[in-house]
Amino acid sequence: MIAEETLVQELQQEESRAKAFEVLVNTYKERLYWHIRRIVLNHDDADDVLQNTFIKVYRNIEKFKGDSKLYSWMYRIATNESLTFLKQKSKKIGVSDQEFKDRMIDNLQADVYYEGSEIQLKLQKALATLPDKQKLVFNMKYYQEMKYNDISEILDTSVGALKTSYHLAVKKIEAYLKEH
Amino acid sequence: MKKDSKNRFNTPEGYFENFNERLMDRIHKEEMGETGSLIPKSDGFRVPDNYFKEVTPAILSKTKEEKPKVFQLKSYSSFYYAAAAIAAIFILFFNITKNTTTPDINFDDLASTELDAYFEKADLNMTSYEIAEVAAFNETELNDLLYNNLEDDIIIEYMNNNIEDFELEEFNLDNNNDE
Repeated sequence: MIAEETLVQELQQEESRAKAFEVLVNTYKERLYWHIRRIVLNHDDADDVLQNTFIKVYRNIEKFKGDSKLYSWMYRIATNESLTFLKQKSKKIGVSDQEFKDRMIDNLQADVYYEGSEIQLKLQKALATLPDKQKLVFNMKYYQEMKYNDISEILDTSVGALKTSYHLAVKKIEAYLKEH
Repeated sequence: MKKDSKNRFNTPEGYFENFNERLMDRIHKEEMGETGSLIPKSDGFRVPDNYFKEVTPAILSKTKEEKPKVFQLKSYSSFYYAAAAIAAIFILFFNITKNTTTPDINFDDLASTELDAYFEKADLNMTSYEIAEVAAFNETELNDLLYNNLEDDIIIEYMNNNIEDFELEEFNLDNNNDE
């Protein structure tokens, strides 16, 4: 696997950019897809957002200063793109935030690329009751098995605050699953 | 079994030797949500077959479609906005001026009813002579006045309306003409 610094250098040089970008896409597409999918839930939406994320990365790679890791920077773009996508969609439909989340769950059941069992569907309903930050932390830690330090860099939140968020999220989800 | 000489409590064999290991293992499991939680380990999402193979060329083709951006050395947009603002101010100014200027009114613009109303209401204080001086009669009008035979009824009605204590006898006018 190519070292991150080398990849960044190649991405920032015009003659090597195309080849390096292909390497970048192949390296991160799956991880970013699952991160996005767990935010937007629907496959087609996740596909749109993933492509937009990589296009933004491509357009802005020259501005990347290397203050953070490349993959943290890409995760940040993916997170922002996903949340913005959802906001625009809810605004377009003209419903409240909670009503939009409920509709997302309803649509999920009709999604051919979702094969959730009853308990998995309940999990999504439980996740829909959480604040955005708690939901993000839970998905990144529980399903993507990311380290707190990496999540901290992506979400720009201290490790302590992340642990608290994760703990609260787990308790709330468990309580929801017990009640319903 | 290990005995505590003071409290007489027993601990299992090797309890303290591997305590740290067990503690760290539990912390790790808790962090990973593996403590017999109700939360399922997978969330039921899947992707279409070959999706991850096909998405790479889709993304790369989109980046190739992008044309190089042309940056203007000097942005003219601010000048356009300034020009538009100045034009808007001028248009507004001329419209206001045009609307507030009162047009010149001449005598022909007055309706005859307005003139009649003025003469009826205004106290002109003009004598017959003064009126005669300003009101020019041409010959035809004067002849109409002198030679037109007015009906007696009209004359009597005029007198009734304008002369107090009108007595027919005083004027030698008699309705019957017999007396």
